[in-house]
Amino acid sequence: MDRREILAERPVERGRGFMPGVSINPSRTLFTAGLTGRNPDGAVAAGGMAAQTRRTFERLQPILAKAGAGFDNVVKQLVYVTDLDAYNSVGRPERAKFFGATRAASTGLVVRRLADPALLIEVELVVDVPGSPQGKPLLEKYNIENHGGNFHQGVIVNGGRLVYLAGQVANNVDNSVAGAGDWRRQAEKVYDNIGHLLQAAGGTPGSVVKETTWVLSIDSWRAASVPVRSGFYDGDLPASTLVEIPGLARPEFLVEIEVIAAVA
Amino acid sequence: MAFTTIATPAAKPVANYKMGTRMAGGRLLYISGQVAWDGSGNVVGKGDVGAQATQTFQNLRGVLQAAGGDLRDLMKITTYITRIEDFPAVAKARSEVFQGELPASTLIVVKSLFHPDFLIEVEGVAAV
Repeated sequence: MDRREILAERPVERGRGFMPGVSINPSRTLFTAGLTGRNPDGAVAAGGMAAQTRRTFERLQPILAKAGAGFDNVVKQLVYVTDLDAYNSVGRPERAKFFGATRAASTGLVVRRLADPALLIEVELVVDVPGSPQGKPLLEKYNIENHGGNFHQGVIVNGGRLVYLAGQVANNVDNSVAGAGDWRRQAEKVYDNIGHLLQAAGGTPGSVVKETTWVLSIDSWRAASVPVRSGFYDGDLPASTLVEIPGLARPEFLVEIEVIAAVA
Repeated sequence: MAFTTIATPAAKPVANYKMGTRMAGGRLLYISGQVAWDGSGNVVGKGDVGAQATQTFQNLRGVLQAAGGDLRDLMKITTYITRIEDFPAVAKARSEVFQGELPASTLIVVKSLFHPDFLIEVEGVAAV
């Protein structure tokens, strides 16, 4: 807790819906998966960007509430949209209804595709959760909905130390690319790198709190990666976001995965 | 330094950045995606990704300094650009602003940022 809002005291910062920076003294920190505007039956909410934005935040609310938090505890938001004009005109006002006067640190990105081509928005949050971590397990991973996906909707870190890994790509130690054009091989190499780094940090795959997967093709990624990813996490899944983008640092890279983990 | 560096011979970075960091104390600071705004909200370097990158990293530093820190306190940065061919200019500006090794780092090419004039956006997490 002990939230501080950081302003660099520039005119550009005034009157905007977000803060340049927010700092906390981390004690209980919630990372949500990327949430989208799906209805309880899994179908994408009808009604375009406004309806999807409303559903997205409606779904985030109980994930925060389960941790004992609300939107006024949000530290950071990451908003992915596929249609910027629609978000600016009808998405933003819907978002504002949930946040009131609270201003979080924020990043907004326009991406090529989300998990389902009909999805227009996806939002993930980092939340400063009230209460003491004492007596609680290091990680609390939970779902609010029976979504059937291979991820948790929320992961709370109670105390411990956060680990931030660089985005991992399929590069060998000699700087060559492992598996040019080969989704399966790149998935194996990326998770191999992540595994080694987690070990060096004193963790395991189960220590991963949040995973963001950036791919050039969601369809190709899904077709190739499922057994690799399932084998890596072995059921102990993080909160996650999957996004399709047009490019990575080298043209051979098909996927980049970044993870946040926590160790005691 | 309120964090330690994670490294292993089994996984090497593609460039001059840390592969991982582990927080060791201090406050956790989340910095919004920074763009090439000047203090009044005018875009600096419209069409010039090198100038935008320099301004963006200076803005990132400005937020860190307002929180009582500096670039050395960054655990992780994520750089979003809109055209992969801009990467060399971004890397050059970045290495001029950061002296020495970069924090843990991710580079992503997105379809666009939240205004068509912006060619680069950088967000960061720091321990201050």
